[in-house]
Amino acid sequence: MTIPTRRTSVAPGKIALAAALCLTALVGIAGWQKTQAASLDEIKKRGYMIVATEDDFKPFEFVQDGKPTGFDNELLAILRKSVPFEVRQEIIPWTGLLAGVSTGKYDMALTAVLITKERSQSLDFTMPIADATHYYVKRKSDDSIKEIKDLNGKILGVQAGSGLLQRVPELEAMLAKTGGKIGKIVEYTSYPEAYQDLAIGRTDFVINTVINLQALVKEKPNVFALGQAVTGPSYPAWAVKKGNTELLALVNDFLAKQRANGTMAELEKKWFGKTFDKLPTSFTPQF
Amino acid sequence: MTPYAYFSLLQGAGVTVALSLLGIVIGVPLGLGLALVRWARIPVLTQVIAAYVSVLRATPLVTLVLLIFFALPSIGIPIDPIPAAILTLALNTSAFNCEIWRAALIDFPKTQLEAAQATGMTSSLAFRRIVFPQIWRTSLPSLVNEMTLLVKVSPAIAVIGVVDITRAAVRIGAETYEPLPPFLAATVLYFVILLVLVRVQRSLESSTARKFGSA
Repeated sequence: MTIPTRRTSVAPGKIALAAALCLTALVGIAGWQKTQAASLDEIKKRGYMIVATEDDFKPFEFVQDGKPTGFDNELLAILRKSVPFEVRQEIIPWTGLLAGVSTGKYDMALTAVLITKERSQSLDFTMPIADATHYYVKRKSDDSIKEIKDLNGKILGVQAGSGLLQRVPELEAMLAKTGGKIGKIVEYTSYPEAYQDLAIGRTDFVINTVINLQALVKEKPNVFALGQAVTGPSYPAWAVKKGNTELLALVNDFLAKQRANGTMAELEKKWFGKTFDKLPTSFTPQF
Repeated sequence: MTPYAYFSLLQGAGVTVALSLLGIVIGVPLGLGLALVRWARIPVLTQVIAAYVSVLRATPLVTLVLLIFFALPSIGIPIDPIPAAILTLALNTSAFNCEIWRAALIDFPKTQLEAAQATGMTSSLAFRRIVFPQIWRTSLPSLVNEMTLLVKVSPAIAVIGVVDITRAAVRIGAETYEPLPPFLAATVLYFVILLVLVRVQRSLESSTARKFGSA
């Protein structure tokens, strides 16, 4: 090593050029995705598939005393017994989950992914696992909201990046019938924060699926009250990378069996407090 | 909050401390190495490092960890969440540390180096005996400052499934629908961790002061 006796300086232009080159390389790496997630044959050959679940999406998946539990985790336990290969589980936050499925890091998103038009472009969905028609929830003490038309101008809280924002036009149309319109929309990184802000009065109502809201109201009956439906039918399902049809067929077959033998209804009753008897076997989203 | 909830927060604290420490242990010497290469004006490498620092300082931690975790496997380098998290933290902090070390090196009096050369010291001996003890003292407060920042940006690594203090708090909040108590507990934990860091800095400073006299 030589110790210089003069101060080092690098021409700023050269730095900018080199930085630009590095950035281009990084973006190139990011854009270069695996074109194919593991097919069923590959899964069978390597002996395992990887599913991704969430950790803060009660009652579908959450962590209780260190153990993943909820509707989807119970279905996962049954899935493990009914397929001829190992099912590995990764628990990761929603933010990176679908990216992980579309880059092939995970073979399936085993969580309640709302079936939307946009997501259908990069993902294939299994048959719906529940009914996810959206309702609004309000503070129990708030008497100014009794039905949909009372939501005129009220502050709405939703989770950012949820499929729900695309459904807001439906509520807009409902409100427009009575001459009302949507107030300010506040986005949160996850629903627990949205509920917290609703409870302390920063927002007036939160929109989420009827299942999530029923679970919330059951847990905090003195704080929250369930309102009415604000969208048409909507369903969540598990998702695989688009074109992974054999894996999709296998999982659909599994889900159909659970519906037929009553396991699904049992789990629905346990986690959602009600059963969904008329779920379609496939769903083409309008939104 | 249940006793288990507190336990899970402590587990998260263990993860936060372990990953941050590993990031620091790799990132501080790496930063010094990078700064020395720039100081020595080694052609090409100097420009590459300047670019490395510029890119890493401009990349948000969430973006960096997602890139490392999801993009590396795409080019045939499989990586697990924990190594990806450590790599992310180390790379991020090394860029900032490089600049801290470089600032101390730029300001180093060249007369001392000339004196060392005059007495026949080799470059590496002069570095160990003359340069490093002094830039270490100059850089320590800034290095510890960067460490405290690293601990506080570390929750970004939760996006790839690593459960640190903040993620543990999110999980508790999601189960109970009451996010405030776990987040308050999490804040206390961060406070304690940073307090310990600053204590270590103080004792390092006073021990060097005893050895070399106050700065």
